[in-house]
Amino acid sequence: MDAVVNMIEKILARAGRRPRVEPGDVVVADVDLMVMHDLSASFVTRVFREELDGAAVHDPSRIVFVFDHNFSAPTEEGARRLHRVREFAAEHGIRVFDAGSGSLHHVIIESGLWAPGQVIIGCDSHTPIHGALGAFATGVGNNSMAAMGFAHSKAWFRAPETVQVRLEGAPHEGVTPRDAAQHVVGSLGEDSAIYQALEYAGDYVEGLSIEDRCLFPLMSIDLGAKAAFIDPDAKTEAFAREHARAGFELVRNDPGCRYADIVRIDLAAIDGPQVACPPTVGNVRPVREVQGTPIDIAEVGGSTGGRLRDIRTLVRRLDGRSVHPGVRLQVVPANRGIFKAALREGLIEALVDAGAIVCPPGAGSNQAVNMGAMCAGETMISNQARNFPGRNGSPEARHFLASTDTVAVSAATGRIADPRG
Amino acid sequence: MNPASNNPATLVFEGACWKFGHNVPTDAITPTRLVWKTFDEMARHCLESLDPDFPRRVRPGDILVAGRNFGCSSGRAAAPKALAATGIGAVVAERFSRTFYRNGHEVGLPILEAPGIHAFVEPGDRLHVDIANGEVRNARTGRALRTSPPPPFLLDMLRAGGLIPYLKSESNPLMSVR
Repeated sequence: MDAVVNMIEKILARAGRRPRVEPGDVVVADVDLMVMHDLSASFVTRVFREELDGAAVHDPSRIVFVFDHNFSAPTEEGARRLHRVREFAAEHGIRVFDAGSGSLHHVIIESGLWAPGQVIIGCDSHTPIHGALGAFATGVGNNSMAAMGFAHSKAWFRAPETVQVRLEGAPHEGVTPRDAAQHVVGSLGEDSAIYQALEYAGDYVEGLSIEDRCLFPLMSIDLGAKAAFIDPDAKTEAFAREHARAGFELVRNDPGCRYADIVRIDLAAIDGPQVACPPTVGNVRPVREVQGTPIDIAEVGGSTGGRLRDIRTLVRRLDGRSVHPGVRLQVVPANRGIFKAALREGLIEALVDAGAIVCPPGAGSNQAVNMGAMCAGETMISNQARNFPGRNGSPEARHFLASTDTVAVSAATGRIADPRG
Repeated sequence: MNPASNNPATLVFEGACWKFGHNVPTDAITPTRLVWKTFDEMARHCLESLDPDFPRRVRPGDILVAGRNFGCSSGRAAAPKALAATGIGAVVAERFSRTFYRNGHEVGLPILEAPGIHAFVEPGDRLHVDIANGEVRNARTGRALRTSPPPPFLLDMLRAGGLIPYLKSESNPLMSVR
């Protein structure tokens, strides 16, 4: 009888050209897709040029650069760095989605360069998002990407143990998928899944759209996980047929595959909208504990927050109101398709009328490269992915992470507010 | 140049302890505004938002001890590279974030996971760290803490000085990828 294995173990066995893979095995696997943003592309290309003795790029068609932290270089030094990456890409035939295309993973999804069953590596810790699309996807360092990825289209992995996280029950009104994802990080703990893979399952996950499913693997790095996935189903297949360019075959869990652990989370027990408070993504509290906190910046955008549904929710929640005096509301569509749809639907006009700052598609305030720096004493609330001190300017600024609904009502009132009214 | 390539291949270190807390993000090790600078300049600001004395007073061979989830947030390899550039001998933590753990070995920064280490040391303690044998000794208390060493594959990578020298060496099991 064949061994009973899960999606990741199957993908790694195929890519590692071996009959099977067990947790703990070190596997050298063929990589199908390598993704970098402007910051990591700059680091990786420098390592490749300076430390690899003139090695050749093995297969440039598997490599993609997306300039998302910069929409327009703010300094001469920054311009030179982007220029060097463009030169490297031209020299080696690597595809570049230049500034204004959108946030790395949302550009990749829109581009259709991915497919279920692939091994996807990224020099970006949020790469596991593609696990929602049936791929094995994880973040690797610059040296891995340059020395094994660029030079050989390969990567080394220690095959992870898998923990199944079953999300069950119906959350109360006002608890969105983002609130549920933050609740998972807060309740399991931000180092609870280090080196492991997480599989999200259960009625709740099955009922979500692919876009909302993406939030769970995306936020899994802040549980410490190496990768996360949702066993592909009819929704995954339909989404892939619509978006993926290449042919594919879904790789699914074997029935009855084993887990290192199974964790059940009752979503009905979530105490309303959830806010990740400084200093970490795992410091998650019910909004009622922080409501009333004055804010300076509200942002809807980037890898976790610039989806079309987020922009629609923002406009609906503003409901014709202007942004509160003194608050800057920044809106960053996650890719060009989303930006165009928001234009067609009149959402961008509504936001401009409300006094919002509409930014080009990109990563928005993530790491404050082109925008989103704060001075000591300032406070932001956003649906971005990270809130660590020093990530957005001063370590004495504060950054709260919340659902789009919570960010929207906070922007309208000038204080962290409960979207349930 | 790989800033950690001068570390000794014995993987035994002795130095004074610098102690940090839990969930130290790469944003604190190397803030984004500095990741374009030279490693020496990054080292001059390394962890300054958590302990301004660290980058000014750290001496070559000192041992950094941290709590759970050290090096969380962005998986930027600049963080272990900058730490190596401070001259630190080794980093010992209750647990590392997986991106830091992978990057640390790949850039040749000696690191060791040792559950219980946080309560085992005080700042300034003289520590002896033996990565391959999974042992930390505290000269002040006279006690030893045992832990599992990294798997042989990662030990070999550390001894080689990181992934790139490891791939260039003749004896590595990843040779087939060359």
